[in-house]
Amino acid sequence: MSDIIDHEVVYLPSQLIVDFSKCTGCRICELACSAKHEGKFQPSLARLKIIRYDDLGLDIPNVCGPCETAPCVDICPVFAMRRDPITKMTYLDEDMCILCKSCVGACVNGVILLDTVKMRIIKCDHCGGDPECAKVCPTGAITYGPDTSLATVDRHGKILGYLKEIERTDKVHGTGAE
Amino acid sequence: MAGGYTGKILRVNLTDGKFKIETLPEEWIKPYIGGDGFGAKLLFEELPAGIDPLGEQNKLIIATGPITGTMWPMSGRTVLISKAPLTGIWGESHVGGFLGAELKYAGYDLLVIEGKSEEPVYIDIHNSDLQLRDAKNKWGLTTDKVTTAIKKDKRDPDVQVAAIGPAGERKVRYASVMINHARAAGRTGMGAVLGSKNVKAIAIRGHGAVEVHDLEGFMKFAKEGHMRVRTNPIAQGMSKVGTWGLVAVKQEIGEFPTYNHQTGVFDGWEKLSGDYIRPRHTIGDRACFGCSLGCKKVNYIKDGPFAGTLEEGPEYEGLMAFGSLLGIDDFATTLKANQICNRYGMDIISAGSTIAFAIEAFVKGAITEKDTGGLKLEWGNREQLIKLLEMIGEREGFGELLAEGSKRAADSLGRGTDKFAMHVKGMEVSGQDGRTHRSIALGHATGARGADHLRSLVVVDQLGYEDVATKRWGADKLPEIIDPYTEKYKANAVFESENAYCIRDTLIVCWYTVSWPPIFWMDDFAKILPLTTGENYFSKVENLTEIAERQVTLKRLFNAREGITKKDDSLPDRFTKDPMPEGPGKGQVVDLEPMLRDYYTLRGWDLETGLPTENTLKRLSLEWTKAHS
Repeated sequence: MSDIIDHEVVYLPSQLIVDFSKCTGCRICELACSAKHEGKFQPSLARLKIIRYDDLGLDIPNVCGPCETAPCVDICPVFAMRRDPITKMTYLDEDMCILCKSCVGACVNGVILLDTVKMRIIKCDHCGGDPECAKVCPTGAITYGPDTSLATVDRHGKILGYLKEIERTDKVHGTGAE
Repeated sequence: MAGGYTGKILRVNLTDGKFKIETLPEEWIKPYIGGDGFGAKLLFEELPAGIDPLGEQNKLIIATGPITGTMWPMSGRTVLISKAPLTGIWGESHVGGFLGAELKYAGYDLLVIEGKSEEPVYIDIHNSDLQLRDAKNKWGLTTDKVTTAIKKDKRDPDVQVAAIGPAGERKVRYASVMINHARAAGRTGMGAVLGSKNVKAIAIRGHGAVEVHDLEGFMKFAKEGHMRVRTNPIAQGMSKVGTWGLVAVKQEIGEFPTYNHQTGVFDGWEKLSGDYIRPRHTIGDRACFGCSLGCKKVNYIKDGPFAGTLEEGPEYEGLMAFGSLLGIDDFATTLKANQICNRYGMDIISAGSTIAFAIEAFVKGAITEKDTGGLKLEWGNREQLIKLLEMIGEREGFGELLAEGSKRAADSLGRGTDKFAMHVKGMEVSGQDGRTHRSIALGHATGARGADHLRSLVVVDQLGYEDVATKRWGADKLPEIIDPYTEKYKANAVFESENAYCIRDTLIVCWYTVSWPPIFWMDDFAKILPLTTGENYFSKVENLTEIAERQVTLKRLFNAREGITKKDDSLPDRFTKDPMPEGPGKGQVVDLEPMLRDYYTLRGWDLETGLPTENTLKRLSLEWTKAHS
């Protein structure tokens, strides 16, 4: 991990903050998100994703950000994914997008999607500063607002934990590459 | 097609291995809405009378409603419908989780499973990619292992898996279908139906959408609905302790079934109460699809003989069936027993009640060690409970007999053991007692699938919500209607509750927030249904009431075709002859007959036979049923 160079470290005025210990996995956020942005109930096109571990009884919300260095911005070859200078939110300029799907693979939270029906990249825009998911979350597992940088630091710990988890499940179940 | 529906029925014929997609008949929507209603219509038309529930002719339906998969509170419910192996009559089992929503996202309102496969298979539904896959290497696995194995096969953690365990394969009469590890379609033995068809599991994944008629109005009302749940004090308590909160309440009113329903108070209740369990064992709160309440609890046992047990549940019924009913005052035992039932795929209530039957028969000397294969059955024996459950799941030794359910076990044992079998129409009595809660006595006796606490349980009288009762039934019926010790007006309460719950089961939404705590009722359904479907017929409560009446009567006709009449609407003698020995309801017994007569009158059923009259059939447009009898 040491050879990764941080190009840009930014202070994030407002961010989606996740407390997975409060998440019950009800997926109301996915429903509200798809209803707001797609006009129908379709969790597969939601801009966030709840991963449910039914065997462990654990639910983990994956939302866009907080990213003080954003892989989706860094990887975009045509500068279609950019960071808003004021809100620091990363956003997609759909007119410039060439559908190379690099951002889909680069997103550490796995919440950038390719809509294979309409052929477009789906990316959270924090509902322009008033995110629907945080408003409907019944337990306060997803909140939105300015916070200390701890949330960002915490997310790094979460990603490290994920990598360990992937390593563990690969050891147990195999990667499929064998 | 009206909003909320996908408009398609998926049929899989296991005998020839073919899938078939049919259009959902538009004319079903107005009279039946969905869920239970569609299931009842389809099963009545397509099943001949008198078939073997475990034979090739039986069908299993997985049904959803127009609300399933939307953002209306608690919209993740699904129903499994079939002719029941446990009772031989109408069988249905509602289950939470995510299966129904996923089925709709895959593009189908109903899944109908027909025929019988030669080899073990699992049904794999991935949008329009429909496959029967080989499950020989999964046969014999417990439900948790099957679920993990299928998710691994599909390389997708979001696949929803409904699986049976060894109990379903061995056709234990009350085998359950487990959805993603811990959601159980438990009652009436749906797992045995799948087992008899050689279906190990059903895996569903969908990427489609559910569209409603008026999204803006729907979202406004749905968000208001969620806020009503989030701000309701009882619902808030429930999200902390789930249904365990009932233990203290039931103990206080003397309705906590103990020692096979011999009494209604249990000395060791405190160790089974929510306030005791949550701080000691609960490590997480979980919810089903679209639920802002979240009553499911993940529990962990740190020490003792069951150390290391990690499992969701049990619910109140589990604490009752493996706790007070058997005289066990230990949460760890109930959790372990719950885990075994989940893994083997068995109904908790029927398993606990059948074991309680055996213990009482043994303790009272009706059966001996010769019958039990050397086991000395006794109340409160924790290790013995675990052993018995494993024996039932394996159908081994004495477990072979208990796997048939208490009614069949009593019939084959004879020697007067039938008085210890607590069942109605073959299904074991749930964790209520008609002696201290009169309306449930009527509910147990008249339930379409047997002693049922989910189709007509009136909570308002049991817990004395005076304001709610006044609103629903009018001030003139108070105070009798909320007095749990009198038969008066109980039929009205059951009638109206059963109607509302029928609509609940067609939408389909959860028991909680409709039945208890009382947050949503008919007027709310009359608002959300037109917003979802665009069908204005649903906006009148009296129309919904007629749909509900049609459904109850249709299920009754299904049962009548199998020979059910008034004589089967009975209760075990314990509730009608043995007075409650202690507690607040001391000395109470149930007088069923007057309540039955009131109920039949309200339903339009004959007072002598208990069967729907000619006028009723006409009024509810059910005359088509005559062609299928």
